[in-house]
Amino acid sequence: MYALEVKNLTKTFDKLVAVDNASFEVPEGSIFGLIGRNGAGKTTTIRMMMGIYLPDNGEVVLRGVKVGQEFKNQVGYLPEERGLYKKMKVLETLLYFAEIKGKSGREVHKRAEEYLKRFELYDRRLSKVEDLSKGNQQKLQFISTVLHEPEFIILDEPYSGLDPINTNLLREIIIEMKQKGKVIIFSTHLMDFAEKMCDHIVMIDHGKIILKGSLKEIKSKYSQKNVSLTYDGDISFLKSNPIIDSIADYGNTTGIKLKEANQAQQLLRLLLDKNVTVKKFDANDISLQEIFIELAGHEDNGTNGKEVRNV
Amino acid sequence: MFNYRVLAIIKRELREKLFSKAFIILTLLVPGMIFIFGGVQALLYSTESKGLKFDLVVENRELLEDFQKEFSQQGFVTKKHYVFNYMAMTREDFKIHLQNKKQMIIDEKLTGILFIPASAFKDKKIEYYAKTPQNISLSRELERPINKIFLDIFFKNKSLSTEDLDFARSGVDFTGFKVSKDEKIAQEGYGNLVLSYALSILLYISLLMIGQMAMQSVIEEKGSKIVEVILSSVSAKELMTGKILGSAITGVAQMAVWLGTIFAISSSALIALPPEVTLNIKPELVIYVLLNFFIGLVLFVGLFSMMGAIFDNSQDAASGNMPIMMLIIIPFFIAISMMENPNKPYIEIASLFPFASIIVMPARLALVEVPVWQQVLAVIINLLTIYALFPLAGKIYRIGILRTGKKPKWSEVVKWLKYKY
Repeated sequence: MYALEVKNLTKTFDKLVAVDNASFEVPEGSIFGLIGRNGAGKTTTIRMMMGIYLPDNGEVVLRGVKVGQEFKNQVGYLPEERGLYKKMKVLETLLYFAEIKGKSGREVHKRAEEYLKRFELYDRRLSKVEDLSKGNQQKLQFISTVLHEPEFIILDEPYSGLDPINTNLLREIIIEMKQKGKVIIFSTHLMDFAEKMCDHIVMIDHGKIILKGSLKEIKSKYSQKNVSLTYDGDISFLKSNPIIDSIADYGNTTGIKLKEANQAQQLLRLLLDKNVTVKKFDANDISLQEIFIELAGHEDNGTNGKEVRNV
Repeated sequence: MFNYRVLAIIKRELREKLFSKAFIILTLLVPGMIFIFGGVQALLYSTESKGLKFDLVVENRELLEDFQKEFSQQGFVTKKHYVFNYMAMTREDFKIHLQNKKQMIIDEKLTGILFIPASAFKDKKIEYYAKTPQNISLSRELERPINKIFLDIFFKNKSLSTEDLDFARSGVDFTGFKVSKDEKIAQEGYGNLVLSYALSILLYISLLMIGQMAMQSVIEEKGSKIVEVILSSVSAKELMTGKILGSAITGVAQMAVWLGTIFAISSSALIALPPEVTLNIKPELVIYVLLNFFIGLVLFVGLFSMMGAIFDNSQDAASGNMPIMMLIIIPFFIAISMMENPNKPYIEIASLFPFASIIVMPARLALVEVPVWQQVLAVIINLLTIYALFPLAGKIYRIGILRTGKKPKWSEVVKWLKYKY
């Protein structure tokens, strides 16, 4: 059962195709990553999911029904470019955001105060937002995203501009929401975070979906066929072995490329059987970053690709 | 269209605008300021003409006494606004006198010299020499007493009764009577003129204030990026509706305070206004003005919100919204021009014209009888304008608020209308 299905979304601005026939499915209870470099079409996709933009084509389906206001009420959305009313007071801000989601009354009030206590903002509840530090404003923004107890949490580049403490805090919130069975969708160009947190991903590049599925499956599919080996002894016998594609000597280490990714264990057994002393045998999983670069990086080696690699 | 989300937005708008300290102070201050301006003007008028020195030179020596006698009875002399130094001399001597006093006039030790030649008793032409000879208040004040002396002398030997003389001396008193459907034809003072003027100014001020506030608020939401968070909960249409209604209610509340004050003053027995400025203000007029203002505000605030959405900052918006400002300023001047003659042909059209009717119709109502159908029509025309323009304004708003970057050209804005958003 999918919580959310995105079907053939397309969005064009002037002549630029921002999102091109994008389809993917968000499973129930997952942390779902929308991954791509800056300008790939992540925010546009999210905005269409939220109904902020009307798609030129395609639709978003929530548990079998086309999304509308019902969905908006169930979402907590943290856009990349965040903002608060500067002149409003802290508690007032929270209650307002909950109110436009259809939640008001004593219970929300109580929950807002609980969150403020937990995030050490309770003393500031009557201060104006503009008097808070930037870090505290970010905290306030997180609370406003989850205060109405949404079923879905959509975070667009959630880590951009966060200080380390708030980065951890946000991670905590995400994990907590996952434990409560909520669906979390976030977009990022930071592969590390996506790899650590997501169980499902979709990779988007130039508006097109280039990869989608569960992270585990994707990684095993793309996992390394390369083994890096440090040894003592003779390995010349490998040259004629059918599982070996090629062998390259790098001096200290030797790179062995297998024909299939799942043959690494076979190779290790073979080496041990022949009494080769294995000092280091590195057949690690491929990182999401490497998959991303393999899929999207070589197309243009310009600044965009570099930007993704550098962050 | 109208739901709890719109209601929440309206409530927030009211908290931010209507119940903000700055707005309340301004609302209370504006009527006060109008009074203060009036007072300052009166004060300036009275101080300005205090102790001004003049030489009054008469060519006919024997008439010097007449001037002395007549002038000494005038208010401007008894109150010491003007001080006259009376003298008699021939034109030749006057020329020398003028040369001698030239420096004093330039140094403003002497305000001016009035010369009454002998010929004036035939053609009533007198001469005034001063650094600033174009002085309306002086000529207005001196005209009557001087004319009286001329008349007295002219008729002196013509055996006229004092009665005849009094008649000849008196000016024409123009009393206005307002003809209306009411039974009695009421003598009308300047009260309605004052009311019309006050309505024009108050509507104008409030409209500018509310419009600018609405625009600023959209720019702030756009600039602080909060709009995207809000749009994840409500639609752009709901947000715009809530903001417009919030602003319109704020404006009407402000106008209600102002008009209520005027109504209270005019109908209260405590403050007795002189009969010529009695305001003939009916409750129906107040209600109509508020309703008309509400509809007009919705229209204007819609356009101001659209402008706020197009631009990123106040400076760009200020130059960009000139066309809308014109829609406010021109009707204001039309309304003011009504003081002179409320029956100019364009006024009837302007009072029904979309946008313009918000100021012109109330100003006209205060002065002349306007058929009910025209009053209703003005509101309907504004409603139709809203109906025609808001889909476009709404679309520009929807697209504009999520746009950042360089200032869009008008041609680009027109292109937005074709977008599917």
